[in-house]
Formats: sequence, structure tokens, C-alpha cells
Amino acid sequence: MNVTVVCFAASYVVSLALEVSRVFFRSKVRGVVMVGFTVAGLIAHTWFLSDRAIHSAGSPQLSVSPLSSPFDWLLLAAWILAITYLYFAYYYRKEAIGIFILPVVLSLIGAAQFASREPFAPQPASRVWGQIHGIFLVLGTVSLLVGFVSGTMYLIHARRLKHKLPPMRGFRLLNLERLDAINHRSIVLSCIFMALGVISGVVLNLILSHRELSQIPWNDPVVYSSGLLLIWVVSATLFNALYKPARHGRKVAYLTIASFVFLAITLAALVLAETQHGGRNSENSDNTGASLVSPSLVAHRPDGRGGR
Amino acid sequence: MKLQLVGCSHHTSAIEVRERLAFSSDEVCTALDRIRNRYPDSEAVLLSTCNRVELYTAGESSDLIPSSDEAVRFLAEFHGLQPDTIHADLFRMSDEEVLRHLFRVSASLDSMVVGEPQILSQVKQAYQHATAQDSTGPITHSIFQAAVTVARRVANETTINQRRVSIPSLAVADFAKQIFEQFDDKHILLIGAGEMAEETLLFLKDEGATNVTVINRNPQRATELATKWGGRARPWEDLAPALVEADLVISTTGAGEPVVTLDLYKREIEPDRNQQSLFVLDLAVPRDVEPAVGDRLGVYLYSIDDLRAACERNRLARDAEMPAAIKIVDEETDRFMAELRHRATGPIIQRLRSGWTKPKEEELERLFNKLPDLDDRSREEVRRSFDRMINKLLHPPLESLRDEARQGSPQGLLDALKRLFQLRD
Repeated sequence: MNVTVVCFAASYVVSLALEVSRVFFRSKVRGVVMVGFTVAGLIAHTWFLSDRAIHSAGSPQLSVSPLSSPFDWLLLAAWILAITYLYFAYYYRKEAIGIFILPVVLSLIGAAQFASREPFAPQPASRVWGQIHGIFLVLGTVSLLVGFVSGTMYLIHARRLKHKLPPMRGFRLLNLERLDAINHRSIVLSCIFMALGVISGVVLNLILSHRELSQIPWNDPVVYSSGLLLIWVVSATLFNALYKPARHGRKVAYLTIASFVFLAITLAALVLAETQHGGRNSENSDNTGASLVSPSLVAHRPDGRGGR
Repeated sequence: MKLQLVGCSHHTSAIEVRERLAFSSDEVCTALDRIRNRYPDSEAVLLSTCNRVELYTAGESSDLIPSSDEAVRFLAEFHGLQPDTIHADLFRMSDEEVLRHLFRVSASLDSMVVGEPQILSQVKQAYQHATAQDSTGPITHSIFQAAVTVARRVANETTINQRRVSIPSLAVADFAKQIFEQFDDKHILLIGAGEMAEETLLFLKDEGATNVTVINRNPQRATELATKWGGRARPWEDLAPALVEADLVISTTGAGEPVVTLDLYKREIEPDRNQQSLFVLDLAVPRDVEPAVGDRLGVYLYSIDDLRAACERNRLARDAEMPAAIKIVDEETDRFMAELRHRATGPIIQRLRSGWTKPKEEELERLFNKLPDLDDRSREEVRRSFDRMINKLLHPPLESLRDEARQGSPQGLLDALKRLFQLRD
């Protein structure tokens, strides 16, 4: 079956359109249709990712980790967020959560179109650490994005309540207490995941360096923007833990939104910057057979192009 | 079939009359027992709430149920009143009118606060009481079950029951529940002892609130209220520390000046609250809480005017939904009545069919005698062919009967059928 990105992106767009339509009119069947389109999108999305994972794992010349390119990585984050949306759509049917989550899902899918499809670290020696690195960074990204969504909802909802506006038809939001709890958890979880992701990345690079395989330069834009993001989320978590007023309300929401800004910088570096960390430059280097793939691996490829 | 209703509501009678005619749960059971003893073939349901007392009776014919005057007399006698004294306060309805009224009541379109959800459970409870007392039958079963369906349809297809128009319910449902997930772990502080504060507390209790603190300038009044609501009383001097601990404040003092000033809040309360959400309902006139307190971080302050404005917006929105709700009630009433009328034609249709069955059987017998060589399969085919012909011949009159039942009572057509086909009772 030929499933393309357009298939699931279109399903999510329809779900988003249905979410937006809540504001304008009531419908008895909308909820079912909305969940139906999201499930259809998720099935196509899962199929697409599985297909890519199977094909990358089945590459005989190059034993790369499945879903290890920036393209796959962004689609995987979108996939987890789409599942998160489905959970909320099912358990919080009256709340317009999709209006906030689905644009983020679609943005990730959109960003993936500009991202490289080359693996971050194709050497077999680094496979386990590469997977740990990737999984935790994806989870950290998803946590930050969920925090951003709930933080935005919190600020909008708090503003409406300050202005004494009752819930709007079709635009009900989760109550402040729940949003506050989600914000708080997303900060703590993103800190843990990001720390594990970045630390495993450092270990991975040190192993590559120790084995004299090609490593990612420490001054690579993605590496330092990730470091910056980690410093921020650790600071935000400490601020949240040590300064009592930052444990509730708007301050937590602001922290989640600021964290998103740092995440956006890192993602922009990954997608747009000249980087050897799966970005544009790595594709260029791929064409010359340099950098990310060790000479020995290149030599094993029948076409001598690095086996991607 | 006969359906009848005698009763009073907030539309027709004063609260004093409704109070005199009201039934407690035990009295409802006793009353239904008495009706059953007096009219054994009558079905009866008695709905008694603070806004209405309604006695629904139904039976196969009007002579099996109490007449409206008898129903009035029954209600009066039960409460030891003279029928003349309540005669003018009671309304009487029959058949389709009763059905439409019951549907409106269940859907909360006839309530004092239109859209309030309690009435549906009260209707269900009245029906359950009557069923438990063996006072219901096929007619009351079908109309009360239909009433529940209509109420659900109105709730699902309109927002009429989501538009709260009473200040306490709006304060809790539209605002407090937008801030807090749950209320069982929240500190609720009652400042003063206004009636509306108690009503609001009632809604909060329904949401699970348990931790109530009462502060009043009069310590005795504070203790009384705290005992009533299962909370604790604190002296007036503890106002600031109590506000530090509170999540939700309802203030209704009769003070001439604000009791919570911006200065007091900034100096003694805010530093210790760590910006936790504080929901303040200032239901006092003049205000108890200085409006500038509402601008502080984490404070959501609502005055009685804010809530009134929100109620008014809801009232307008609800009024706009009213035609759609009434349309649903009308549709469902028409559908139910058409079904009922069609069901009433059942015996005639039955007689019409059986009247044609006898000649069919006779003709078949004659034919089979003339054609003795026919095998079983052929005989069955011939039999089926006869059945099909009868169905085709009966189809146009039955279809006309169904159409007539949709428009209104098909009695004229039924009489014509009886005469044409010589159908006897």
C-alpha cells in the first residue's frame, strides 16, 4: 500500500477543520467523524513510519537504527502528539483541545518535509546509544510541545476568566487546575527526557570519537542549540521547584511557552541550519561520502555513496 | 384511550397554594394507593415538586378514570381542604394537551428557571414511585418513557440546559468549575451569612466540597452556619489567615465598606499565597472586596453585577434557543399522537384481515377439491398467491388509515371501514 505523508496530514487537517467548526455550529455526529478521521490519520501515519522503519532496518549494507533521521524524528513526535490528541478527544469531548494540538501536529509534519532523511548516526557501533538519544529527545520534544499547548490554553482561559467571560459555545477549555498540572508535569518530564537525551548524545559522540569514527562537532548548531535548550529546561525546572510562586498559574505557563521558543530554535537549527547532525549539511557531506559515515562503511557500499 | 391532568404550577398558583397541595414521598404513595382503590382500572402518576403538583391519570376510556372534578376533589380531600378553595388555582388538560405539557415539563421548558436539570429526575422519580405502587400501566409507561426521550433530545440538540440563569448555579458551573478540577480538596471560606451564599454553598456541596470555614462578625451566627454546613467557625480577626488558606471565597456581609481591601490583600494575604488561584464571589451590595484585588495575579473576582450580567447573557441566549426546543416538543408530541392513533386502529385492521381470511380459506378449499392432482408445493404456491392478493387489496385502505392517523383522529375513516366491510364489534 502506498501511504504518503499527504494521506495522514489530510486526515489531521479534516479533524482540525471539524474542531474549528465547533465554534460555529452544533452537530451530533461531529465527535465521531472527528475521532474517525484522526484514527484513520493515525493508522496511515503508523503505516508510513512502520514502512520506513522496516526499510531502514532491512538495509543490508548499513545497519542503521530505524526512524533515525530528522524527518522520521519529527514525524514520530507528531505521531505521539496525535495519539495524545486522540486521548483528549475521547476523554474530554466537550473541550476544544484539538484546536491547539492539531496545528502543532501539522507543523511538525510540515517541518519534516524540510528536514533531512539521512540518519543521525549510522554507525553500528553507536546504534544502542543512538536509539536512546533519539527516543529521549523525541519524548522531551513531545513533553515540551504538550506543555506549550497547555500553557497557551492556560493563558487564554485565565484571560477569559479575568474578564468574567463564561465558557464559549464550542470553545470550552480544560479547567485551570488541570492545565496547571499538565504544565507542571510537562516541565519536569521534559527536563528529565531532555537531560537523558542530551547526555546519551554526548556519550554517543565520545564513543565515536574513542573509536576514531566520524563524530558530530561539538560546535554544530544542533548540538549547541540542544545544549542551550537543556540548560533552559533545567533552569526552568529548578525555578519551578525552588520558587514557590512559579509552581502555579501563569508563571508555569510562561515557562512552558519560553521552553517552546528554545525548542523551536533547536528544531530550526535541525531543519534549516548547516549541520552535520542529520541536517542539510549532512546531505551535502553524504554526496561527498564524508563526515557522518565512516570511510569503512562507505567502502562497503556497492555505489560507494554511504548507503542511505 | 383517555389521558387527563389536573394540577397547579408556579404559572397558575401562588406558593401558598402549592405548599398546601404539595405531597411528601410517603404521601405520594398513600395518594396513589387511594386512587387505585377508588379507580382500579385507572393509571396514575403524581408529580410533586416545589413548583408544581400534577396528577396524571390515564385509562382505556374516560369512564375508567376520575373526571377532572373528581380529581380536584381528591386533591382537596387528601389535604383536608374544601374543593372550592383550590378550584380556581388548578388547571385541567386532556389527551394531546397533557402529552405536550408533560414533554415541556420534562424538558425543563415549563420550569421557573428554564433549563434547570432537576426537573427531569423529579419526573423520573414520580414515575418510579407510581410504578412501585403498581399505579402505572401501558399508557403511562409509554408517555413517561417518551417524556424522558424528549428531554434528552432537547438537552442534546439545544443548549437550553447549559445556560444557567441563577447566580449561584452560574457562579459554580460557569466559573468555579472552570478554575478548579475538584472541590473535595478545596478550602471554602464563607464571609458573612447571606442567603445567596448558602445557595451557592449548596451547589458546591453537590460538587463534593467538604472543607468549609465560616467567618462572621457575630461568632454565634458563624458557629450556627458552620454546624449547619459541617464546617468550622473562625473569629473575624482571622480573616486574613483564612483568606491565605482559602481557594474559594463567598462573601456576603452587610458591611458598608470593603472588608478585603487591596492594601490588606497585598500586605497580609498575597505574600503567603504564592499566587495560587483564588476564586472570589463577592455577592454583597455594597461590595465586600475592593475591585482592584481582582487585578492581582491568580485572583478571579466576580461581583454580583458581573454574575448578573453573565446570567442576562445566558437568558438571552437561552431565549433564542427556545423556539428550537419547542419545535422538538411539538414534533415528538405529533409523532407520539400519530403512533397512538395508529395503534388504536389495530383492532379494526385485525377484524378486517380476519374477515377476509375466512372467504380465502373457503375458496382455497373449493379450488383444491377441484384440482386434486396438485402436489403440496403447488398448493403452497396457490396459498401464497391468495395471501399476496389479500395484502395488495388491503394495502390502499390501510395506507389511507395510516395517513389519516398522522393528520388527526381517524374515527371517520374507521366508521366508514366498519360500514363498508360490515365489521361488527
